[in-house]
Amino acid sequence: MSVRAQRSRPLFGWRTMQSLKGASFTLPFLAGFALFVIVPVLMGVRESVYTTQSSGLGFGGQTVEFAGLRNFAKGLADGAFWTGMFRVLLYAIVVVPLTQALGLGLALVLDAARRRTAARFRIALLLPYMVPGIVAAMIWIYQYSPTVGPITGFFALFGLDVNFFTSSMVWVSMGNLAVWSALGFTMLILYGALQSVPHEIFEAARIDGASELRIAWSIKVPFVRGSLVLTSLLSIIGTLQLFDQPVLFRAVTPETITRDFTPAMMIYDQAFQVGNLNYATALSVILAVVVGIASAIIYRFMNKEES
Amino acid sequence: MIRSRARWATAGLAVTALAGLSACSADASSAGAAGDTEPAGPVTIEVWGWNAETGEQTAEAFNAAQDDVTVKYVLQASNVATQTNFRNATEAGSGVPCLVQGFAPLTTMVVNGWAQDITEQVEGSVDLYNEGALAAAQVDGRYYGLPSGSDGQFLIVNQKTFDKYDVEVPATWDEFVEAGRELGPHGVDITNLAGEDPSILMNLAQQAGAEWFAIEGDQWVVNFTDEKTVAAADVLQPLIDEDLVSNQTFMDKPALYKYFDSGKMASTTTQWWSLTGLQTNLADSGGDWSAHPVPQFADATAPVTPGRTLPSFVPEGCENPGAVVAYTDWLTTPEAIEAGRNAETGAVSFPVQVPDASDYVDAVVPEDFFVDDKAAGEQIVTAQDRVIGKFELGPNYDAWFPELQDQWGKAVAGDITLQEALTAVQEFVAADLDDKGISYTVTE
Repeated sequence: MSVRAQRSRPLFGWRTMQSLKGASFTLPFLAGFALFVIVPVLMGVRESVYTTQSSGLGFGGQTVEFAGLRNFAKGLADGAFWTGMFRVLLYAIVVVPLTQALGLGLALVLDAARRRTAARFRIALLLPYMVPGIVAAMIWIYQYSPTVGPITGFFALFGLDVNFFTSSMVWVSMGNLAVWSALGFTMLILYGALQSVPHEIFEAARIDGASELRIAWSIKVPFVRGSLVLTSLLSIIGTLQLFDQPVLFRAVTPETITRDFTPAMMIYDQAFQVGNLNYATALSVILAVVVGIASAIIYRFMNKEES
Repeated sequence: MIRSRARWATAGLAVTALAGLSACSADASSAGAAGDTEPAGPVTIEVWGWNAETGEQTAEAFNAAQDDVTVKYVLQASNVATQTNFRNATEAGSGVPCLVQGFAPLTTMVVNGWAQDITEQVEGSVDLYNEGALAAAQVDGRYYGLPSGSDGQFLIVNQKTFDKYDVEVPATWDEFVEAGRELGPHGVDITNLAGEDPSILMNLAQQAGAEWFAIEGDQWVVNFTDEKTVAAADVLQPLIDEDLVSNQTFMDKPALYKYFDSGKMASTTTQWWSLTGLQTNLADSGGDWSAHPVPQFADATAPVTPGRTLPSFVPEGCENPGAVVAYTDWLTTPEAIEAGRNAETGAVSFPVQVPDASDYVDAVVPEDFFVDDKAAGEQIVTAQDRVIGKFELGPNYDAWFPELQDQWGKAVAGDITLQEALTAVQEFVAADLDDKGISYTVTE
């Protein structure tokens, strides 16, 4: 009897089986992640250690040669690439905190408003986020247009001659567009986080005589710090990969926004204009590493502050 | 038509004998396999293009007109979509069509190994085409493209503005600059130089006779700073320096048309296919415009018109280039031009590849736009007659054109001179050719 019982014992215990069953729900995600992220990354890394060469007039076809880390060395020493990187970093230093501050402010205002009113404004504020980046850029290019756009005319009412397409204003033009697009998403995440703050704390604070401003600053903001880290990270990652807005603004200020204006634009140019896919993938890997390092630094810095 | 049929009958027999009537698209390949054992029907060729209006109906008319070749027109979403789909088909090694509407300069097609040498097939048809169309289809003296008409440039001027300020319409580029100086004080720009579009510089260089790229033996000769190009730059530099031009972007179309329509822009170079758009959008100045030959360089021995095109090509792997040439030859016939008439607008596509397109020019001159429609039509025909067609753009056009755009943008903004811009582009070209391992020399 005991021998039979031993033989029929399953290979895994029920706890392990439960865990495996639970884990199996992640399989579709893991398969998709492997297929659409891991495999392309590996293919990209493989591509970046080769180089494509022609000879003579270039008519005789191309040969692919192993280049080792040559493309990476070239990328690390490429002045145009790092100038673009520095440029978007500077841009991020202004745009990211601005977006977070405005998003937080809006979330706090909505949190203080009645629920029905907040719901209406929440949808309205989220609308720009739903507009695709290219479409948003097109909309704003028309808004900015000195000839047919309304904004130049508006400033003219106050005697101000503002041209959003000049090289000195193009950063402001793009920054405004970036904030407009990202504000709704940031607000939504922070508003969601605010909803989960226990309301008993607010009541206790009010009994202690705290003003609404004090409650917001000393209770609500510390509670949503985790969400702020998330939205800041996403914002930084998005900004470092800045592409569609400058590509469209390039048409109106080509003297300012060159083809290698941002790292992503340079990668696109190398891949699809110059035709150097190997170098472009090497630059992509470098950009991914930089984004990873920047994210890690921000994450650690903000989490440290929290702890 | 009879001649075209006869040519195809000959070509068809040859192809039947040599290739067993196999075709190059996926469908046609299987038909070709059947042809090895039994007499096959017509050869099927797949044609890729983005002519949504009349591409398919023209192909159907060709199919109805003869029995030897069946054209299957595969409509592409755009130039870019054609390029993407073609790259994919080439990489996959299957589904490669037999004729592709040109989506990049011909030399780029050759360098990428996409276009096949069809000199043998084209040489029998040269009298069907104008010189510009034939020149545009060649790389290093061989036909890698199908003869494709270039759109000859002509000058349209706002005659009302010229008359108002009593300025003569310029016949030379020197006079053009002078006209700009006369109009400038009245707040009128002689023309518009969009900061993102250096094509006017390229057109001027082509007209002056510059050769930015030439082939010498087994290497390219690169020269962006020869005296012809400098002459082209010297036309534009004073216009920029003296602020005689505007810099309206093509990106902001409503603003651009509003400016064109305002009477504050005196002239622009254009080509036949832009006229409908101009007529539609220039409501106020409609009827004020007149067409003139593009100004010439003072030392020109004969009047020439700049104009380039992206020729259609027969991809490597297509086994029936003869069938393709038969189709494109048929496109020059009156029957084919009529077949391409747009059912909605009633307009035919202007046959820019034929030696004499005068019979069709009335259809492309829009109503109520020109002061004199007949004179405008004559200028369009003259422009086509004089079009140069060929301007070699070298093996790395896709790489250097964005650099030219960057440098042009800076020059138009007055940050650098055009000569400095051209020198920078030349340096970029040299570095890129080095990277790619392509042989070249730079002429000082």
